[in-house]
Amino acid sequence: MNSAVIEVLAPRYGIAWYPWAVQYFFMIAVSYSALLLTVPGLLLGKKNYQPLAKVALLVTVSCTLVGPVALLADLHQPLRFWHFYANLTPWSWMSIGSLLLPVYLLLVVAYAWLAWRPAMQEQAQGEGWIAKLSGWISLGQWHAPRWMLVVSGLGALLFSLGIMIYTGAEVAIVKARPLWDTLWLPVMFALTGLVAAAGLVILINRLMTGNDEDVNEQSLKVVFVSMVLSALVAALWISEGITGFSPSVEQALVSLQGNPEWRAVAIYGLLVGIALTLSTIVMLRRPGWLGRSWIAGLLAVHIGWTFRWMVLMEVQTVAKNTAGYYHYAIEAGSSGLLGIIGTFGLWLAALLIIDILVPWKKGLPTSPH
Amino acid sequence: MDKIRRALLGQIAKLTAGAALVPLSSVASAAINDQPPRREGDPEKRYAMLIDLRACIGCQACTVSCHIENEAPLGNFRTIVSQYEVEHEETGDSATFMLPRLCNHCENPPCVPVCPVQATFQRQDGIVVVDNEVCVGCAYCVQACPYDARFINEHTQTADKCTFCAHRLDVGLLPACVESCVGGARIIGDLHDPDSQISRMMKEHYSELMVLKPEMGTAPHVFYLGMDERFVSRPDAKPAIWDVRDQQGEEIGYEFSGH
Ligand code: SF4
Ligand code: SF4
Ligand code: SF4
Repeated sequence: MNSAVIEVLAPRYGIAWYPWAVQYFFMIAVSYSALLLTVPGLLLGKKNYQPLAKVALLVTVSCTLVGPVALLADLHQPLRFWHFYANLTPWSWMSIGSLLLPVYLLLVVAYAWLAWRPAMQEQAQGEGWIAKLSGWISLGQWHAPRWMLVVSGLGALLFSLGIMIYTGAEVAIVKARPLWDTLWLPVMFALTGLVAAAGLVILINRLMTGNDEDVNEQSLKVVFVSMVLSALVAALWISEGITGFSPSVEQALVSLQGNPEWRAVAIYGLLVGIALTLSTIVMLRRPGWLGRSWIAGLLAVHIGWTFRWMVLMEVQTVAKNTAGYYHYAIEAGSSGLLGIIGTFGLWLAALLIIDILVPWKKGLPTSPH
Repeated sequence: MDKIRRALLGQIAKLTAGAALVPLSSVASAAINDQPPRREGDPEKRYAMLIDLRACIGCQACTVSCHIENEAPLGNFRTIVSQYEVEHEETGDSATFMLPRLCNHCENPPCVPVCPVQATFQRQDGIVVVDNEVCVGCAYCVQACPYDARFINEHTQTADKCTFCAHRLDVGLLPACVESCVGGARIIGDLHDPDSQISRMMKEHYSELMVLKPEMGTAPHVFYLGMDERFVSRPDAKPAIWDVRDQQGEEIGYEFSGH
């Protein structure tokens, strides 16, 4: 018997996670990915990766500081955040995350502090309030042995792995949302995080330093490799759905088919992805083009952010029980647009404050052309 | 193909209604995302609801009385009766189908282990509740419930859901929705008491009972009698009206002022 079914009165629920969640997932992924980019230059001491490490360290620190603010803002009861620590809940991924996050933050700050400290100490010798402040921040003129940097760096790396796993698992265990319920998602989070982090490094390299070509080249390579891997993972993910091997992906594909808006965004994502991958190839192949890497940088950041927007916001518009899709229009208030702009504004502020206080680009070519 | 699939789904649905009765409380452990131990409530009891769809006329009396009893904000519902119009594509005959929805007080509730502060928990009598003094409003439980049974209450800024009217049960009253049901379609009771009405009805209709989305493995404890298997999981339906607005485009509310 074939029949057409109409749901007479479909209730509409609001979304439960606001754009703040996208901001947190974006910032924290950029943070742990950029941390990886500091490893060869800063932790392993490879000379030709040192400029990359300098820019990446700034990206890591600024995003690590701002990400948790967005997370806090996504709670409907932000002032109750201490409940996380008063009611430790080892079986909840989110609770585990609440333990990992502050330790990770402290380790990243310690790592950056140790990396920037020699230059700060030097700056403290000078005159004026910046010199004075630098003296306070560097806590004296004693010499910090290198093992301190290595230990805090390794610690931060270890905890960044924890952050990577928990942010991925937190979403992937939600069976109620077919598009989330896949192990490929955490992998995609990490890969698109790398794309965005490398993109942001390229942008900062263009805007705040002398557009160092090595930094551009190394970052473009990271973008390229991560994009190729993302494409591979996406292909595997989709083929799982087509073959019906994973019913959850299959169901996700059905939602995709039923919604023209979604299809449009998926095609858009595909096109931007191809454009980005091709542009990295062109820029890497033609040395004269490296100076224009910022175009690829912008695209890379755009992809990293939009992927999270799609996955975290759009997926919430799929009704679990009732017919059709909930409509989500981004609000202008603090739970919507203002939140997004606010987080980016805060990030920019963090960036500028660090830029004023810390001589982080010491040793980098300065004058942007 | 469609027919086979539906028949199969129906089969699964029925079987799992049975499986829903296997007690899971013994599997509580502390691995990540496992069910934590239950607390509070009467360990001698296991509350459940049976909804006799043959007696439901879709009047939404339960929706309204629940809304008044539990003071949910406008537009949020702890229970609602989904109303479907089914039209036979060849003959054009049409029929309606009513499906009251509420929290299933699952035996394996995915909303519980996700809660980072243990605000959402399952009582020993099976009722899943939220302690809104503890809840931080992270909405993780809202995401995790496969039935859209939860929402963030904009008045309290914490998670809200059907509690089987535990505050009424605990003092010997029936839930508001049960009390107000004109057809007597909602039967609540203790499954551990073999003489309760629900236990007797479950025994009598055992093979016909169905639960919603059995494939989610949640072991729901709201059982449906007279269920059509096409509606067990998210039905393949078109929404007719999204929300009710007056001519000025304002949402029409029915809430009392001062809430
Ligand atoms: S229906 Fe949803 S809210 Fe109710 S117990 Fe099951 S998972 Fe939790
Ligand atoms: S919204 Fe409240 S009850 Fe739900 S998971 Fe978060 S803290 Fe727990
Ligand atoms: S049991 Fe109480 S809270 Fe649950 S649907 Fe009925 S009236 Fe609402």
